[in-house]
Amino acid sequence: MVVRKILFGAALLCGAALPVLGAGAPGGEAAPQNKSFTGAIANLAPGDAAGQWTRQARDYANTRYSPLTQINKKNVGRLRIAWTFSDGQMYGHEGAPLVVGDTMFLVTPFPNIAYALDLSKPGAPIKWVFQPNPDPRAIGEACCDRVLRGWAYADGKLIYNLLDDHTVAVDASTGKEVWRVLLDDVSKGPTMTQAAFTVGDKVYVGSSGGELGTNGWFQALDVKDGHTVWKAFTNGPDSGALIGDDFKPFYPWMKGKDLGVSTWPKDMWKQGASAPWGWVSYDPDLNEVYYGTSNPGPRTPSQRPGLNLWSSAVFARDANSGAAKWAYQFTPHDEWDYDGVNENVLLDIPWKGAKRKVMVHFNRNGFAYTIDRANGEVLVAEPFGLQNWAKKIDLATGMPIVNDAAHPIVEKKVENICPPDIGVKNWNPSAFSPRTGLLYAGVFNSCMDLTNHIVQYIPGATYDGMEMVRHAGPGGNWGEFIAWDPVAGKRIWSIKENLYVWSGAVVTGSDLVFYGTMDGWFRAVDARSGKVLWSQKLGSGITAAPMTFLGPDKRQYVAVYAGVGGGAGVLRREKGFMPGGNTLYVFSVDGTGIGTGASQLVSHAGAAAPVSVPPGTAHN
Amino acid sequence: MKRITFALAMIAASPALGQVTADTPNPLAGKADAADAGHALFGKMNCAGCHAYDLTGGMGPDLTDASWQYGGKPGEIFHTIAEGTPRGMPAWKDKMTADEIWQVVAYIQSKKQ
Repeated sequence: MVVRKILFGAALLCGAALPVLGAGAPGGEAAPQNKSFTGAIANLAPGDAAGQWTRQARDYANTRYSPLTQINKKNVGRLRIAWTFSDGQMYGHEGAPLVVGDTMFLVTPFPNIAYALDLSKPGAPIKWVFQPNPDPRAIGEACCDRVLRGWAYADGKLIYNLLDDHTVAVDASTGKEVWRVLLDDVSKGPTMTQAAFTVGDKVYVGSSGGELGTNGWFQALDVKDGHTVWKAFTNGPDSGALIGDDFKPFYPWMKGKDLGVSTWPKDMWKQGASAPWGWVSYDPDLNEVYYGTSNPGPRTPSQRPGLNLWSSAVFARDANSGAAKWAYQFTPHDEWDYDGVNENVLLDIPWKGAKRKVMVHFNRNGFAYTIDRANGEVLVAEPFGLQNWAKKIDLATGMPIVNDAAHPIVEKKVENICPPDIGVKNWNPSAFSPRTGLLYAGVFNSCMDLTNHIVQYIPGATYDGMEMVRHAGPGGNWGEFIAWDPVAGKRIWSIKENLYVWSGAVVTGSDLVFYGTMDGWFRAVDARSGKVLWSQKLGSGITAAPMTFLGPDKRQYVAVYAGVGGGAGVLRREKGFMPGGNTLYVFSVDGTGIGTGASQLVSHAGAAAPVSVPPGTAHN
Repeated sequence: MKRITFALAMIAASPALGQVTADTPNPLAGKADAADAGHALFGKMNCAGCHAYDLTGGMGPDLTDASWQYGGKPGEIFHTIAEGTPRGMPAWKDKMTADEIWQVVAYIQSKKQ
């Protein structure tokens, strides 16, 4: 073990994390240069112009794939900071900037201030600021820092959730509020941290509060005025969950009337949480939205015998009516806080000689699921990291085979359950490249010693019961960044990192993947080999999603927030964990852009039109 | 018998809710039983969900360090628990008696570093 540690340390001293080729590397040969590893592709609708980034995951399918190629393997080593922007708020930063036309849109964590930045001017000055002034009582009700995971653009409006249970729409050109709707009562525990998701004339939003005894819901609002078009509770009677004749789950144990009531002890579904606080995806052909639900409440499972439907599950719903089409519960009677809210990436894969429309989902429970999104059948469920709570997922039933040693016990410490509550991966979104056919994800390598306690429901207070000590898994590294084959269900390569890799990822048409670490390194990696090609230390740990765009100068930029926080705070006492921050870093080749070259040499007070440096011209 | 005597002693010693000021000492300070009772309440009333079972914080602040947003004197901690804070700490005066709040204060005092 000592030798291993020294080797690991030496690798770090070299300044570059080393990739480990998985068993999946094709025959130990060099990675294919222009071939897909898997044949998986994706519908990249709505098909925005290549340089734009108008939604958090760029497309409805949640790929976070950018076709841009200006920044490539040859010049990525020359990435330098073009400009930065500090937003002044110190809670965890999790969302990605949006770029619509020549404007960049940012929204801070609580108090959820929105900024529009003018990308056409040197230094991207502020066009407008919008301060919604949410209720500060929300601060005490948010489980995992006072975060916001993203914001949406539609119909000339910037639309996003406020921590105090409002959704607000702001005129994207003026920064004036267009509408604001109240969706829940923050004094009872629910908050809103989810990234609003827009399709056509609707915006889809979900509640947060898995540890607060909430009654989770998901709803579609009208983009024009914010009124509720449909609302589906997760638990409770079928009528409230919009479960009707169209509902056809693949597995028999999820069929029956009012299972959202009968799989709970009497009335406990009312505080059963199951909050849809994660990502939403949309299939334009099936006209369905997909989203997951959180852990059941309370987190102490002995208080709620039963399957606890529809917690820790995924729903497919008709986008217009909200009618449930199918559901699948990843972790029945969840005993470990394995929320099912992580992103569902919609792919088309070759499967036994035919094409299947699937979703790929890295669950907190450590299994990566490839599920037929038309009917909810699990095709692949393989571990993508360290887990020991289940022996496997039985594909005949869709049920996990639970390891007896992993059951928590009230007032008794159960050691070494893997993963801990925060999972093998959390909400931090993965990316998919249709060029490589692989997904790229930041993952966690850790376990917990768990002692459960009986808790009572007190409105507005936590409804939790898990006391745990988390520790790093084998190797001593808390985190990794991996490439995943969703057809074979195996890793292609991985890069070890000191702390949890809790950032999102973006992958480009030049086969570069970008991700960040909690100890402040922002990296560009070869998507085929996992070789680190460039790293830059930033001012705080990175728990946000990076993105890339073309500026008005037709130059490619890469942007990411450095502002560690959110659930990542569970490692705040570990060596290397950085102080909080709030700076957006924007990179370009050589750091050139509208703010450099000749324009750098003049005051902008009363200056003439900004001077643009053409792409590819290094300033001198 | 011992328990009853102890409870009576506490009632006699504890100032009523409205009479507590920042400088009011904890009438139960130093009494091991009081800290134990506070420990039980800390779990039962879900305090641990925010401040962690070891009191080092999580969703809510660390209660073992020297940093107190609303004051770290026993009377100030009592006030914070009873009245809550504008930043989301619930008010507990309708859910716990003054004696119970003092027990929780005693438990927190016993864990201060």
